[in-house]
Amino acid sequence: MKKNSAFSRFFTFLVFLFLYAPIILLIVFSFNQNNSNVVWGGFSLNWYRELFQNRIIMRSLYTTLLVSLIATVIATIAGTFAAIGFYGLRRRTRNVLNTVNNIPMMNADIVTGVAMCLFFVAFFALWKDFALWINSIQSLFTLPTRLTLGFPTLLIAHITFNIPYVLLSVSPKLRQLDKNLIDAAQDLGCTWFQAFWKVILPEIKPGIVSGALTAFTMSIDDFIISYFTAGSSSSTLSMTIYGMTKKRVSPEINAISTLLFVTVILLLAIINIREARQERLALRQQGAPSVSAGAPAAPKKPVIPQKLTRFAAALACCAILLTAGVGAFHNTRKPIVNVCSWGEYIDEELITMFEEQTGILVNYQTAESNEALYSLLKSGAGDYDVIVPSDYMISQLMEEGMLEKLDYSQIPNFSLIDDRFKNLPYDPANEYTVPYTWGTVGIIYNTTMVAEPITSWGAMFDDKYAGEVLMFRNSRDAMATALLYLGYDVNTTDENELRQAAGLIADAKSRGVYQAFVMDEIFLKMEGGNAAIGAYYAGDYLTAVENNPDLAFVIPEEGSNWFVDAMCVLKDAPHYEEAMAWINFIASTEANLRNMDFIWYASPNKKALEGYPAYYEELYKEELDQETYEIMAAPPETLERCQSYISLPEETRRLYNELWIKLGIQ
Amino acid sequence: MSKELIRLSDCVVKFDDEIVLDHLNLYINDKEFLTLLGPSGCGKTTTLRIIGGFQRPTSGDVFFAGRRCNDLPPYKRQVNTVFQKYALFTHLNIFENVAFGLRIAKVPEAEITRRVEEALELVNLPGYGKRSASSLSGGQQQRVAIARAIVNRPQVLLLDEPLAALDLKLRKDMQVELKRIQREVGITFVYVTHDQEEALTMSDTVVVMDKGNIQQIGTPEDIYNEPKNAFVADFIGESNIIDGIMLEDKVVKMYGKKFPCLDAGFAPNEPVDVVVRPEDIDIVSPEEGQIVGTVTEVTFKGMHYDIIVDFNGFKWLIQTTDYSPEGARIGVKIDPDGFHIMKKSQYSGQFGDYSSYSAAYDELNEDAETEADDE
Repeated sequence: MKKNSAFSRFFTFLVFLFLYAPIILLIVFSFNQNNSNVVWGGFSLNWYRELFQNRIIMRSLYTTLLVSLIATVIATIAGTFAAIGFYGLRRRTRNVLNTVNNIPMMNADIVTGVAMCLFFVAFFALWKDFALWINSIQSLFTLPTRLTLGFPTLLIAHITFNIPYVLLSVSPKLRQLDKNLIDAAQDLGCTWFQAFWKVILPEIKPGIVSGALTAFTMSIDDFIISYFTAGSSSSTLSMTIYGMTKKRVSPEINAISTLLFVTVILLLAIINIREARQERLALRQQGAPSVSAGAPAAPKKPVIPQKLTRFAAALACCAILLTAGVGAFHNTRKPIVNVCSWGEYIDEELITMFEEQTGILVNYQTAESNEALYSLLKSGAGDYDVIVPSDYMISQLMEEGMLEKLDYSQIPNFSLIDDRFKNLPYDPANEYTVPYTWGTVGIIYNTTMVAEPITSWGAMFDDKYAGEVLMFRNSRDAMATALLYLGYDVNTTDENELRQAAGLIADAKSRGVYQAFVMDEIFLKMEGGNAAIGAYYAGDYLTAVENNPDLAFVIPEEGSNWFVDAMCVLKDAPHYEEAMAWINFIASTEANLRNMDFIWYASPNKKALEGYPAYYEELYKEELDQETYEIMAAPPETLERCQSYISLPEETRRLYNELWIKLGIQ
Repeated sequence: MSKELIRLSDCVVKFDDEIVLDHLNLYINDKEFLTLLGPSGCGKTTTLRIIGGFQRPTSGDVFFAGRRCNDLPPYKRQVNTVFQKYALFTHLNIFENVAFGLRIAKVPEAEITRRVEEALELVNLPGYGKRSASSLSGGQQQRVAIARAIVNRPQVLLLDEPLAALDLKLRKDMQVELKRIQREVGITFVYVTHDQEEALTMSDTVVVMDKGNIQQIGTPEDIYNEPKNAFVADFIGESNIIDGIMLEDKVVKMYGKKFPCLDAGFAPNEPVDVVVRPEDIDIVSPEEGQIVGTVTEVTFKGMHYDIIVDFNGFKWLIQTTDYSPEGARIGVKIDPDGFHIMKKSQYSGQFGDYSSYSAAYDELNEDAETEADDE
């Protein structure tokens, strides 16, 4: 017996170890001194400190708390009344409704999320027609015609998925109620409403409280539904964490995840302890022998605390609603600009500086690739003001009339842009764009994992490095590697050439050359020495090499792509003036220097580009390596070997799409 | 006689075309202990709910102290109710439960304390104020429910099967207790039950109901001794009901034989229902007996035996202290005052035959009472 129990104890231990080891690891490394997730460098709270200084995280934390609190309050009220409504129904109807209520909880979050997103977008389209019609038939007021996903839709979604949880925990309490309680209260002089407040509500209060706690936990916890309904202008904590993992898993993520984990655990503990205590209480009362009379009743005592708690509860409710209201008000009233850029593509200090200078809030979001951004914009879910697409995507967006002309009189800093980067083919008259950065594409490789230096795009298709190669996860860049290797033009529209290029990738893929098709995950893989070769952007190589000095970068002999990412404003952008201010700010020399230093991409600002080595020296008290500088800002002779993408005709784009889908990469 | 307090006049209640109360007329006197007695679904709880204001009659009027009060909501009526399953507020302690109505009425604090303590004293629960409702036994909870109702000094206390959830012993104690409380507070009690013994023990007036109609109103003795029809005779206590013919005043004929009785006022040769209570039958030797039958079943009941006797194919229940073995031929003798003659009614022939007798007859109709009443 004893042996058996020791064994089962050991087995239980294993199960729990298996369950909790990842989380424990995460928690432990959130206190790590250095930025590794493998090597313990000593205890520190650095990552927590950085966390609280990270404005994007703090803002999403604020959004999360706000949406969770408001959603919880509203869902609790709605759910409680719904439960009471259900309770009043005939049993059969009630059972049907309860089942209907359970479905959203069982339903896959992704389905709920997508469905809600579609619903909102469809509603916005309808609303636009309606608002236009209303505005056309009267002139008393004008309805806004353009609604977008944002905090309100996020809130509605959270309320929606929270209500079933409240219902589920309130309903049983109602069923346990004596059917005559309302009658009894009315009999004793209560109106129906008094009976509800003085009897029903207190009787089902435990159910309401645990329903509210569950709803709050669910809200804090939710990622998927938020992801689809928050739009571009708000981001919850879990969405931000997800965005961060697209880059390296920084221990900052460990810290924030630890906090999230602890919060949820605490909430769950509170819920469980409450329930256990109630059960214990019920048990004790059942089992209690009747105490002999003699204890005189103390009528006064229960009265005052009861009033007090009620007062306190009311106060707390008001406080929550007030914070929520003020917060929402605050959020909508302050001028704001919605920016969508790429991951780790800005020195976040700049956002803070801009906000302090202008009082305009920056809502900074990131997209994964030009293609992802494009489909986001097309779906109607991306309602940004400023986007930073690459050259070829800019011409595509221009062709489709999705961009707004800029008011250059509000962007004096445009004059600081090097003439080399003005009037480029994607925007010949330079009416729509202000360049953000420019750079080249090349191959990053780990010198310890390859036999000899890489010089050709052929390495991307070579069996020698099977399983060690990382390919772009966007069709344009991936196809370009093959086209360049085959000696074709990167902007070719020839179907044969394109099919040949796609065939090359497909063949390599089938031979297992590629470890993965990635975008920013390349950082993790290359820095960690998990892959030997990967095609990516020069600036990102410079970031990666800081963490792994074995990495090297080459612009292959066949030539490559050079690109410009430029800021532009979307058609009908709701915050046009603010967008101008933002663009002007980013175009300044100081911003360019800071960005160049932070993201290692070359600046289009002449002074910044030329002045960077000096800036670097002053900042770090050491000379900037010339080689590094040339990778960052490719000298004219290198650029000569590179071609920029131009927008492809519709037909070719379709072909790209078709070939890409055939490759089977999502 | 004391004055009339409540009058239900021609009250009809329909639920989805189902008639629950069928043109009910009833008055209740002040300080009276009136019991509505009947099987489940007879409309007794509905009647109570009309008085309490929880149910509006589909048609007809309700008068309280002479004033029509159909539209008066429950909280405006000088009526309080004790519910079947107590309906105590579990989030409040005993004191606050009892004080609930007084607080709603904004009675001064000192008076609340005094009155609540008085009420708890009245129901024999002094000093229980601080305890929580769920820590009390069923009987104690019911006392709290009574205290909570009478503390408001209503003119009428409605009790909806208040003892149904208690066990037999406790029920008997509480019957006595309730009667005492009614005497002490001196108000009208309207009591609903399906337990005929409870009704007979406590009531000043018993109203026997069936299918939404009042079958008989009277004192417990009247109801027991002079049931109006076979339903009442059967529902109140045990009855052997035999087809007979009233030959003339004080002479009834059954089994082809004439029996002297005390009833009069029927038409000559009128077919009637003859009621003979099981305890009014004397067992004698076959030779002495007015009629002779065979014992088919004997059950020991403690104070007496229940004997089923077959008289020409019609089985009687006889309660006797004399043991007769199964299969014995016995004669019976019934005194003239042992007969009760009733006019034929819609219930004739439905009751009073013990052919399908089972020892568990006491429990008949007691199940599912509450559920049927709720819907």
